[in-house]
Amino acid sequence: MTGKSQDETKELQSQTAGEPSGNQLDAAGKSLSEALRISFIALKVIMFALVLFFLASGLRKVESGEVALVLRFGEIHGEADKRILKPGPHWVLPYPIEEIVRIPVERTVNLAVDSFWYAETEAERLAAAAGKKFRIKQSLNPVKDGYCITRSARGSEIASAGSDYNIIHCKWQLTYKIRDPEPFFRNIFVREIKPGESHTDVIDESINPLLKDLVEDSVVTAIVNYTIDQVKFEEVAKVTIHIRRLLQDKLDEIGSGIEVVSMQLTRSTWPRQVDQAFQASVAAGQASQQLKREASTEAQKILSVTGGPVAEELLAALKDETVSEADKEQLWSQLAGDAREIIGQAKAYRQRVVANAEANAQYLHTLLPEYRKRPELVLKEIYLSAMEEIFANADEKFVIQRSEDAKATEIRVLINRDPSLKSKSGKSGNSETEEKK
Amino acid sequence: MKNIAITIFVVLIFVGMGIKLVAFQVRETELALVKRFGNPIREITEPGLYFKWPAPIDMKEKFDSRVMITEIELNETTTKGALPIIIQAYVLWRIAEPLKFHNSVQGVSNAQDSLRSLTRDVGNNVLGKHNFSEFVNSDPNKIKLQDIQNEMLASLSKAVDDSDYGIKIETLGIKQLKIDQDVTKAVFERMKAERNSATTAIMDEGKALAARIKTDAKSKRAELLAAAEARAKAIRAQGDASAAQYYKLMSEDSEFAMFLRDIEAIKKILGNRTTYVVPTDIEPFDLLRGIRALQPAGANER
Repeated sequence: MTGKSQDETKELQSQTAGEPSGNQLDAAGKSLSEALRISFIALKVIMFALVLFFLASGLRKVESGEVALVLRFGEIHGEADKRILKPGPHWVLPYPIEEIVRIPVERTVNLAVDSFWYAETEAERLAAAAGKKFRIKQSLNPVKDGYCITRSARGSEIASAGSDYNIIHCKWQLTYKIRDPEPFFRNIFVREIKPGESHTDVIDESINPLLKDLVEDSVVTAIVNYTIDQVKFEEVAKVTIHIRRLLQDKLDEIGSGIEVVSMQLTRSTWPRQVDQAFQASVAAGQASQQLKREASTEAQKILSVTGGPVAEELLAALKDETVSEADKEQLWSQLAGDAREIIGQAKAYRQRVVANAEANAQYLHTLLPEYRKRPELVLKEIYLSAMEEIFANADEKFVIQRSEDAKATEIRVLINRDPSLKSKSGKSGNSETEEKK
Repeated sequence: MKNIAITIFVVLIFVGMGIKLVAFQVRETELALVKRFGNPIREITEPGLYFKWPAPIDMKEKFDSRVMITEIELNETTTKGALPIIIQAYVLWRIAEPLKFHNSVQGVSNAQDSLRSLTRDVGNNVLGKHNFSEFVNSDPNKIKLQDIQNEMLASLSKAVDDSDYGIKIETLGIKQLKIDQDVTKAVFERMKAERNSATTAIMDEGKALAARIKTDAKSKRAELLAAAEARAKAIRAQGDASAAQYYKLMSEDSEFAMFLRDIEAIKKILGNRTTYVVPTDIEPFDLLRGIRALQPAGANER
């Protein structure tokens, strides 16, 4: 623009130079008037440039991830959704009439809060990193060491009223963003930005002390309601939600326009002074879990040996009256293990007994006509063939003559027990020594 | 024409400079006070454009209306039961009435000092009214920490209002709750004792649970076997019942049938590896005593 104005100036100058010289003005007057004219033209150009510059100074850009508020004479200007300028170029009336305040709304910021951690000397830190043992002081200094107070577990007989609390160290991380630019601008102190400073850095620097206080307050207030185990292991999520709620309430109460995106417990530990007792307790917890696991495995094995994979299902079905008979039969058929064997034996018995009865009946039926014709012969035949069979398998046979006088005869036969037979009780000396071998 | 434009422009510049002398802006984040020869004459609490006589007749003083933080240093006090407690509190506040603020505390750092001492007093006073067991307790229903903070806030707000500081207390909170250094030793001893008893309890519970799991399994085994046994019995009964239909066939000559059955039985009972002692008067061993008196069947009819 300035270039263009200079061109115009030159043009005007050349026009002036080309004017005919036939007027009454003397040389001095002429040159004065010339000079005046030129300076007026120059002034006009400067004025024009100034006006343009003034108007152009109202051009503002809102970066992405930001919004802006327009202040007219210091007051937030605009109606409804026009109050907030979206990212992009905007034109506002130049300073001092209007100005804009840019606020980063999409940026999430992390803030670590470590004020509940114990103070560690450099020597201690090195020793801990190297895994060396070192002596730690047996108490916590309220000025140097940070910690939170948690309540004792209920029903703990050791704690009495007024002393039933524990100590825990914890570190937190808050992630937040600015949700509502207007209340944020109105209520939250952000110091003036000096030249060369980043706009977002200044905002962070200004609001972090406030957020840190509020986080600490929320943590202290929430955590007294929980036991050390709840904070450390069991209910981390619940504790965190509680803290987050308290924090958001406080932020809303002061009209900060800040939203808690997340609250995280980054580290927590019991005091180093009681580490041993806690480690033992953790180990006991693991051992106890191990016992439970082993017992479960064994239980599973017992059930599997007894009835296979469907054992439990079948038991449940047997107790449940709503399960249909067909389903129960289905389960019975899938049964395995000892139970299946019992049933299998019964089934074999059923088959055998029926088959036997049938065979016997058949046998009788075949013999009956012959028997009716010659009973004595048939009987004798059957009897003797049975005797043959029995005695053929005998180990030893003693045939003795029975005398008329029963008292006179007495024979003694020493019969050895079959050594291959299993002893009935463990009382026999022999079998015991054998077992020992 | 040109001259008129220039004149307007020059006039505008002068008007602008004049306005600059008599007008001023109060932003959304500010409050202001207009003082005439040093005496406050006007209090401004709304943002916008305002006018005053040019300096040095009228002077303006601005105050930040945004939330400010005052942190109170760690403070050891005693609870109702004379137990020591250490707290660190913070106060969020803002200037609400610039005139009162200007007349009473005058500057922000003065205000901070006043607030610190007020909060300390309020803290000692309120904490002294509560037992330590209301700060932390194994029974969560008895914990009154939130209420205690609210009580401190109410007390402080009242004190600030009474002092006419022109300040509004936004909130007050406890950001550190601690105990005396010597007390921490006792706490550690107690924590160890608690933990040790918990360790025993955990082990006992584990063992008991493991035992119960096993017993459960064993009783389930017994139950299942009993059920299988019952079913087996029913199956055997079915077998016996099915077999019974053949007995009817045998009843044609039941004595003969029983004889056959006996033979069958004795064959089975006297299996292998048996030693027999038999008298000679049992057939066929009678043969050992001598030949039987036999006659050909056809020779002599009985």
